[in-house]
Amino acid sequence: MSKLKFQQLDDYRWRIPREGKMRVPGLVFASERMMRDIRSDKSPEQVANVAHLPGILSHSIAMPDMHWGYGFPIGGVAAFDEQDGVLSPGGVGYDINCGVRLLRCNLTRDEVAGRLDDLSLALHRAIPSGVGSRSPRRLTEAELSAVLHQGAHWAVDNGFGRAADLDVIEEGGRFRSADESAVSDRARQRGRPQLGSLGSGNHFCELGVVAQVYDDEAARAYRLAEGQLTVMIHSGSRGFGYQVCDDSLRRMMKASKKYGIELPDRQLCAAPLQSPEAAEYFKGMACAINYAFANRQMMTHFVREAVAGFVGRSQTSLGLELVYDVCHNIAKWEEHVIDGKQRRVCVHRKGATRAFGPGHEQVPRRYRKVGQPVLVPGDMGRYSFVLAGTEQAMSETFGSCCHGAGRRLSRAKAKKLASGRSIFRELQDKGIWVRSDSKRTVAEEIPEAYKDVADVVEVIVGAGIARKVARLEPLAVVKG
Amino acid sequence: MGYRTIDHTADLALEVWAPTQAALLAHGARALVAQLTDDATIEATAERHVSLSALDPEDRLVVWLNEVLFMAVTEGFLFASGDPVLTADGLDAQVCGEPHAADRITSELKSVTYHDLCLDERDGGWFARLIVDV
Repeated sequence: MSKLKFQQLDDYRWRIPREGKMRVPGLVFASERMMRDIRSDKSPEQVANVAHLPGILSHSIAMPDMHWGYGFPIGGVAAFDEQDGVLSPGGVGYDINCGVRLLRCNLTRDEVAGRLDDLSLALHRAIPSGVGSRSPRRLTEAELSAVLHQGAHWAVDNGFGRAADLDVIEEGGRFRSADESAVSDRARQRGRPQLGSLGSGNHFCELGVVAQVYDDEAARAYRLAEGQLTVMIHSGSRGFGYQVCDDSLRRMMKASKKYGIELPDRQLCAAPLQSPEAAEYFKGMACAINYAFANRQMMTHFVREAVAGFVGRSQTSLGLELVYDVCHNIAKWEEHVIDGKQRRVCVHRKGATRAFGPGHEQVPRRYRKVGQPVLVPGDMGRYSFVLAGTEQAMSETFGSCCHGAGRRLSRAKAKKLASGRSIFRELQDKGIWVRSDSKRTVAEEIPEAYKDVADVVEVIVGAGIARKVARLEPLAVVKG
Repeated sequence: MGYRTIDHTADLALEVWAPTQAALLAHGARALVAQLTDDATIEATAERHVSLSALDPEDRLVVWLNEVLFMAVTEGFLFASGDPVLTADGLDAQVCGEPHAADRITSELKSVTYHDLCLDERDGGWFARLIVDV
């Protein structure tokens, strides 16, 4: 139970006032009901801990899907001053550039009705998934180097996807600061066999349907219509990213000592943004970001092949165009207006999504009028949301939004709740075909393990940091 | 000597206890492999030498366990037993385990973290609390 004091600002905002060595207050987005869960774990302390870091600007922010992580809370956002601020691998996490992408398909739900059993099998066969899942493509060291520098561009150049995909990926699918000299052999060893695989845990590939459109203009811009099929892919940088993070921590702990940064939690170890240690981490992190972009891009290709093969039509006639690809574990340089002044800041998003508003030059031209698509997956039994970024997000959360439903139950509690039940059967009765090599993963990922993402989105929309565009409902889910 | 898992919303929290710090390191490694393999029995049919450096005792625990994890996920070498010898700046250990056993791994563990990490002497033995990112 959190001992911290909260001041309720309105229906959706709670302030954690500065105390002790906090440099800024905390700002939590949540409803009164959600605060009961939030207060019961250690995530508010984690929000306060982040507020101790040098150069943090405005607030240590947490989104309504927040929960207890390690270092930063999951759902945490923090921006740091270019001169006085720090870079912390704990603000990015182990699964660097874990993210979500959404494809839209020209098929409707009716066209696959009665065939989801086989279609879900086809998707499961097409996407390497599960613990230690491996790539069907054996990468040479030279190819891995190209992946680390070129990201999704490498994948497209090598036959995995379309050039048009690159226009609708955050950062254009290639993070430019990558330098493989900052990457260990161990990271390469861990990552080389895994490119183009889903992994396990909460990662998934989900065939869904647009159940409801809330905002016609934005849905038209994103080319989403009710009844249309979609595919969502959630995965990250696999063992490569985990190792990059792990390798960086010891260097960052030494740096924290060297630069006199007091740490309330060792996992928050950090180095000044202008230091060589931060520069080194940034280069390695960028490689992992690119690995993840290439990873999701390869799986996009596998999905297109599988669906086209299954229905016996060409990939192009099926559409299966990329709507957008967002990163939700990342640190990056961005320009934001703070106290009326445009400033270059380093934004950390740990389990939070960029949500740039209308008119921003980094939003793809075709979406610029309505704002960036924000992809918010829910659990496998209910629904997910597509949102659009707003001006309010730009002025209040450094253009950031929630990243999902957020876990409510520990894995052990979820397994206990699932025990004696057939989760596959229960979901099938609701019209959802779940495929996984692991019953245990499915038990740990039962819908009840998560907050209702509709509650999370209600807070986000109520606070004005994104607009609701569409709700997607799952039809077939491949779990790792 | 023993270990238990405790509730953590997103990740895995482990508590490990043993009579000495060296025994705790070995038992922590066994606990980690038990979590990776859903308590599979590991056959100690191969040997390895591990030598590593660390900043302090807590860091040594994390670096050691991440080494055990690395051997498991990259080479399929599953730790069964070992006798770590603590050195001034790290440890040396001759470890026994099962090689080529990647297919025994049933859970993905990303890394042992430094968050909420605790390693201390209590009740005449050693105790550690660890959070593992899953």
